Amino acid sequence: MFLFNYRYRLKCIFKDRQLMFWTFMFPILLATLFNLAFANLSSSDNFKKVNVAVVQNEELDQNPAFTQALDGADDLFVVKYTTQDEAAALLSDHDIDGYINFDTDLNLVVNQSGLNQTIIRGFLDDFKQSSSTITTIATQKPSALENGNLEGISSRAEYLKAVSASQSNPDPVVNYFYTLIAMTCLYGGFLGVKEVVAIQADLSDVGARINLAPTNKLTVFLASIMAATTVQLLELLILLAFIIRVLGISFGDQLGYIALTCAVGSLTGVTFGTCIAAIIKKGEGLKIGILIGSTMIMCFLAGMMSANIKYTVMTKAPILGYLNPANLITDSFYALYYYNTHTQFFADILLLCGFTLLFSSVTYFVLRRQKYASL
Amino acid sequence: MQVYKAFFKVIQKNRAQILIYLVVFMALALILSGAYNPPQDTDFTKVKVNIAFINDDGDSQLVDGLKTYLGENANLVAIPDDTQKLQDALFFRQVEYILRVPAGFAEDMLNGKEVQLEKTTVPDSTSNIYMDLLINKYLNTVKTYTTYLPGLSQDDLTQYLKKDLVEQSEVTMISNGTHSAYAEKSGYYFNYLSYSLFAILILGVCSVMLVFNDTDLKRRNLCSPIRSASMNMQMVLGNLSFAILTWLVLISASFIMYGSFMFTATGLLLLLNSFVFTLAVLSISYLIGNLVKSRGAMSAIANVFALGTSFISGVFVPQELLGANVLTIASFTPTYWYVKANNEITAAVSFNTDNLSSIFTSMVLVLAFGVAVLGVTLVLIKQKRVEA
Repeated sequence: MFLFNYRYRLKCIFKDRQLMFWTFMFPILLATLFNLAFANLSSSDNFKKVNVAVVQNEELDQNPAFTQALDGADDLFVVKYTTQDEAAALLSDHDIDGYINFDTDLNLVVNQSGLNQTIIRGFLDDFKQSSSTITTIATQKPSALENGNLEGISSRAEYLKAVSASQSNPDPVVNYFYTLIAMTCLYGGFLGVKEVVAIQADLSDVGARINLAPTNKLTVFLASIMAATTVQLLELLILLAFIIRVLGISFGDQLGYIALTCAVGSLTGVTFGTCIAAIIKKGEGLKIGILIGSTMIMCFLAGMMSANIKYTVMTKAPILGYLNPANLITDSFYALYYYNTHTQFFADILLLCGFTLLFSSVTYFVLRRQKYASL
Repeated sequence: MQVYKAFFKVIQKNRAQILIYLVVFMALALILSGAYNPPQDTDFTKVKVNIAFINDDGDSQLVDGLKTYLGENANLVAIPDDTQKLQDALFFRQVEYILRVPAGFAEDMLNGKEVQLEKTTVPDSTSNIYMDLLINKYLNTVKTYTTYLPGLSQDDLTQYLKKDLVEQSEVTMISNGTHSAYAEKSGYYFNYLSYSLFAILILGVCSVMLVFNDTDLKRRNLCSPIRSASMNMQMVLGNLSFAILTWLVLISASFIMYGSFMFTATGLLLLLNSFVFTLAVLSISYLIGNLVKSRGAMSAIANVFALGTSFISGVFVPQELLGANVLTIASFTPTYWYVKANNEITAAVSFNTDNLSSIFTSMVLVLAFGVAVLGVTLVLIKQKRVEA
């Protein structure tokens, strides 16, 4: 009997085209759009050499040290030597970020304040500061200048050693895809709503028919929930494969734990839907409306519209993050991708299991032993 | 005017769904106007990168000096020294650079030993390069002093460093006229408007068309004593007034937020551009309204269209960050040209024939989209009637 019901619920779900669109096609479409829109987002702050022009004049020719220093910084700048007018034209066309005019003193001309302009300025400051250092040393100890013109100034030592934050790249774009999966999990609630409507005598004709049958309602309902979770998990795994294989978004390499998150997330989503459907007595439209609305708010707080929201919640109101299933799912993926330990991941998964338990008990206590005087 | 009235009765019945998109838009517009403050480019200000400075070494004048120096050239953000908190801060770009001073650093440095600071950065980023430049500058200057003036006291050393590092080069800022602070903000507002406009018009027009295209109802209407020309005219009027009403509601908040700015040339061009866009969207909605067969499909299509065009045309993510391929695809939607015109309007400090002709070309293209789609729809309707 159980398998019979299970099989037929599966058929019912797969035949519901609208349901399949929202729980399956829509997330895939959204993932594609995310990928199209965010593809260049993380590489946009990658360093590209700063384009800079230098005005050629007599002052410049008299200061070979400056030209030398500029040539030495070829890992920072692409330098063009031009006339004053040409430089101004290049600047107004945004072909260069600024031009240097050696006019009694170093002068930088720019038309906006930005990081590239700040770098040019930092370089010029550096040059002036080094001159000041030489002057100081020369006055303190004139003999220093005689042997070899201060080598320390031109030979630069590297004082920094890079230590990576984690085995994975700190790329906030992946968070958008994690929240998308969280959204898909919670959209599993559509399936939950459908199953509750189908089993409640006051909500659908099928429900009335099922309540007449001499079968235990819990058995029937368990079969429905199993069917819903099966579909949800299947959809989720296809979405995951699509995001990882086709779109090339990294989830780290702990596939077992990722699958575990998907399984727990699916259950949370489906029971979330059954819980809403059980509590709210009004029509299906309202149930769906509340499901979409709450999912969207939760996903917003998990950083789906702006990753910074997640960070703000994490630091300013961490409790809000722990009470938000969408954030817990997002955070599980984030922890797997980025953290070196599993403490956070297991905390998230445990809380998700807690939510699943809560949702299913609420559903159970509301649905059981309902009797109708009249339908 | 029975048909016209019926049009708005159907809209009334569907107001809940439509209101959602209105609320979403208003929320977005409010959040944006509160959060975003464009830089005022009249004087040069150096960009300060957010960094975290963690000192595992004891207190020393050398490290203090470095911290002060970095504090002047970057924003020091206080983050607790906890691996996950630091990882989080870097991931979400709260800081872009984490500098850790190892224990025993100051002593080793002053004794001329080889020392290194640990940096944790966003790989390959511009801020990484800039911070490297600053920190290496400081430490190399220290090295120069300790090499050439051995036995220099820490007191003197920090004094010299301070004196050297305060030296700055002059920066001249060429600004081509002042730019209203509202220009960029209102640009975002009008870009986002396209998302809600698309969703609302598709939902509204489709829900009406679904009712009127119902076969039984259509037959009943055709044998009514109202002339079909008059009926069509009223439908056209209904669609137009619905679109204009939606446009008026959507732009109304811009007058509240930006006030008299909306009456400057920039503001008026933005309004004109959004109006032209409204007509094109109406025409697309009309086509969709004649194609969809169920209410379920209607909300699916409204979402796909509104989100899809917004994502690839630079509403949610600026056009300059989108790939060339994406933009090529996007240029087949009116949203792309609408956003392009918006960006050009708000970027222009003054209007000349060059930028105006580009802006108006975009508007004409948007209008052409509208006309072309309308043509297709009319042919389609004609064909359907013949088949029926």
